[in-house]
Amino acid sequence: MAERLATLVGIYALLGLGYQIVFGQLRALNLAQGALFGVGAYATALTAPSLGPFALLVAPLAAAAVAALAAPPMLRLQSHYFALATLALASLINLVAVNAEDLTGGANGLVGFGMALPRGPTLTILVWLVLVATVAAYASIFKGETGEKARLLRDAPLVAASVGIDAALWRFTAFVIGGACAGLAGGFSAALTGVVSPEATGFSVMLLCLTAVVVGGARHPLGAVLGAAVAVLLPELFRGLQGSWLLAYAAATLAVVLWVPEGLAGLFTRRHALPIPLAVAPASGPRRLELDRVGKRFGGVEALRDVSFTVDRGEIVGLIGPNGSGKTTLLNTISGLESADSGTITLDRAHLEHLPAHAIARHGIGRTFQTPIEGETRGAGLARALATGAAFLLLDEPAAGMTDRERDLLAGQLRGLRRDRGIVLVDHDVELLTRVCDRLVCLDGGKVIASGSPAEVRADPKVRASFLGVPA
Amino acid sequence: MAYALVALGFVLALNASGAVNFAHGDLVVLGGAVAVLLASWLGLPGFLLMPLVALALAVAGVLAAHVAILPLARRPPEATFVATIALAAMIEQTLTVTMGASPRTTPPFLGSGAVTVGGVPIGLQPLAIVMVGAVLVAALWFLLERTQLGRRMRAVAADRHMARAVGIPVRRTVTLSLALSGALAGIAGFLLGHQFLVTPTQGAGHMLKAYIAVALGGWGSVPGALIGALAIGFFETFFSAEVGDAWASAALYIAVLLVLTLRPRGLFGEPIGQRA
Repeated sequence: MAERLATLVGIYALLGLGYQIVFGQLRALNLAQGALFGVGAYATALTAPSLGPFALLVAPLAAAAVAALAAPPMLRLQSHYFALATLALASLINLVAVNAEDLTGGANGLVGFGMALPRGPTLTILVWLVLVATVAAYASIFKGETGEKARLLRDAPLVAASVGIDAALWRFTAFVIGGACAGLAGGFSAALTGVVSPEATGFSVMLLCLTAVVVGGARHPLGAVLGAAVAVLLPELFRGLQGSWLLAYAAATLAVVLWVPEGLAGLFTRRHALPIPLAVAPASGPRRLELDRVGKRFGGVEALRDVSFTVDRGEIVGLIGPNGSGKTTLLNTISGLESADSGTITLDRAHLEHLPAHAIARHGIGRTFQTPIEGETRGAGLARALATGAAFLLLDEPAAGMTDRERDLLAGQLRGLRRDRGIVLVDHDVELLTRVCDRLVCLDGGKVIASGSPAEVRADPKVRASFLGVPA
Repeated sequence: MAYALVALGFVLALNASGAVNFAHGDLVVLGGAVAVLLASWLGLPGFLLMPLVALALAVAGVLAAHVAILPLARRPPEATFVATIALAAMIEQTLTVTMGASPRTTPPFLGSGAVTVGGVPIGLQPLAIVMVGAVLVAALWFLLERTQLGRRMRAVAADRHMARAVGIPVRRTVTLSLALSGALAGIAGFLLGHQFLVTPTQGAGHMLKAYIAVALGGWGSVPGALIGALAIGFFETFFSAEVGDAWASAALYIAVLLVLTLRPRGLFGEPIGQRA
């Protein structure tokens, strides 16, 4: 009995660990994890008669294959749509399990394959060996830089793209590897029970997995193990309560969500602040960023119209213009968060206008955003952009909310950075821009209305009319 | 039409809290169960029973808001999702323990007979569902579009920080939306419970239909949810008649995946815009 429970804890821990990669690390609400568990169970049950113990290896492969097939269209979906798509996938798998009677045995399920698979103590040891190895791998992978990248992806996806992290690739990998864990857990579960029925693909498995991970801790390496132990052992303890243990369990999950957001495992650890790398690699690479007649429309609104200018390394170009003139849209278009409708953006010879944001970041364009990530200090955005080793920096209102003294410091920093980088600077503080910029470009209504040295642009009558509020 | 009521309640809660209320399907079932209970106690006719059910479920909606939604307002939407999943499981288990797994039936709204219109017999209950549904949809439209309260609810849905900044009591508005959402769920449960019976485990199914309706119709759009729900209703009726229930469900899920692949923001786009 104790051995069976130990095996069960191991199986659910493995299922939950796979789920932690997708849900915990990337905060993608995947509701197909339970169904992938079922896919693994069926795969093992179907192949056990011919493959023997090796049928257990088929389980993760089958689940990963289903996940990989289903993933591509789902990867670009946002949170709720992703949850719905995975829920639809899970419902489809469940329907197949119930209705494809020739393959799955329908509602009765499959039996009689168990003799070919490891059982008893062998199975328990096997499950726990795999689990320990997976926990160790998970812990080492998410301890350092990978963990920090995952955090950035979770908390600030746009910023993550701006430092070159490919969100779609991450999600795909997590979904497939997480699915493989679920499949293997399903295979083990088939070996343990000797029966596979449509219930293995049902929503109750998903619910158990989700609650176990939330209760245990969604990101901590031991979270899934703790959660699985609670989920398996609690009902044994509360056998007397009969059906109402599920009620108690659901209430406990709710309590954990409300009061212990990091899960039970979170109670045992403190967060360590990681040291910030101070040495910034000297920027090398491309020499010139060139925009040629760039245009961008949002519906009927022409946000950018024929915008052309160049920035060389060693130069700071200031971008001015009234609110809504297209400054941030222009930065978004250069960095690939919006795609240009017309015109070209080139870095030396390389065309950027159709590349995704993370690829542009890897070409050497770093940027900062107007609003910092919660809990970060003001300089963090600039530090992050520098840490990519970018040759060109796009800075969106870095001086917003700064005191005069801080502005002086910033101006000094920018002059220092200019030595081996090109900078595009957006700010409302024309005095600051005049001090640090080599040239100014003034936008109005999405068009360049003036460009040149700060003195020239400030003296331009069109600029005075539109931006400085002085009639021409 | 009853799907429409489920989906409308769902979208109200969604807009108010900014997150999926996974317990909504179970509130519908709870509505059916309350109707069964009240009917056996009071023996009232259906049309008098309905306001009582609505009131009871409005209270349940307020409780749900205070337990699983308001405390998590500052956390990512996934926290609310998980909390409401737990709440759904709690409702389902409570119902299983108290009323058992056997299905019950709620009393009809007017009667279980049929009237003959132009030679075609129409069941009184389907007729009642369509009529009550139409009246409620119209009332909801009026509330949201033509009253100050509705404007507040829409303002909170669009941007809760801005709404707070202009002096709208956000918590109270959210609670009120959830009460309304609960009442709609209760009425839907009561109306559905006569034809399709009430069993504790139906919640997930109701929830999934509402979820699909809202996602297809455009996240957070009230008319979109209505169109989505009606589309699902027709789709199911048509396909079940042609190819049987299992294939009808499969076709629905495949259609959902296809739509999401081709239009990642639902058929009609998203009115709220990107929540970066």
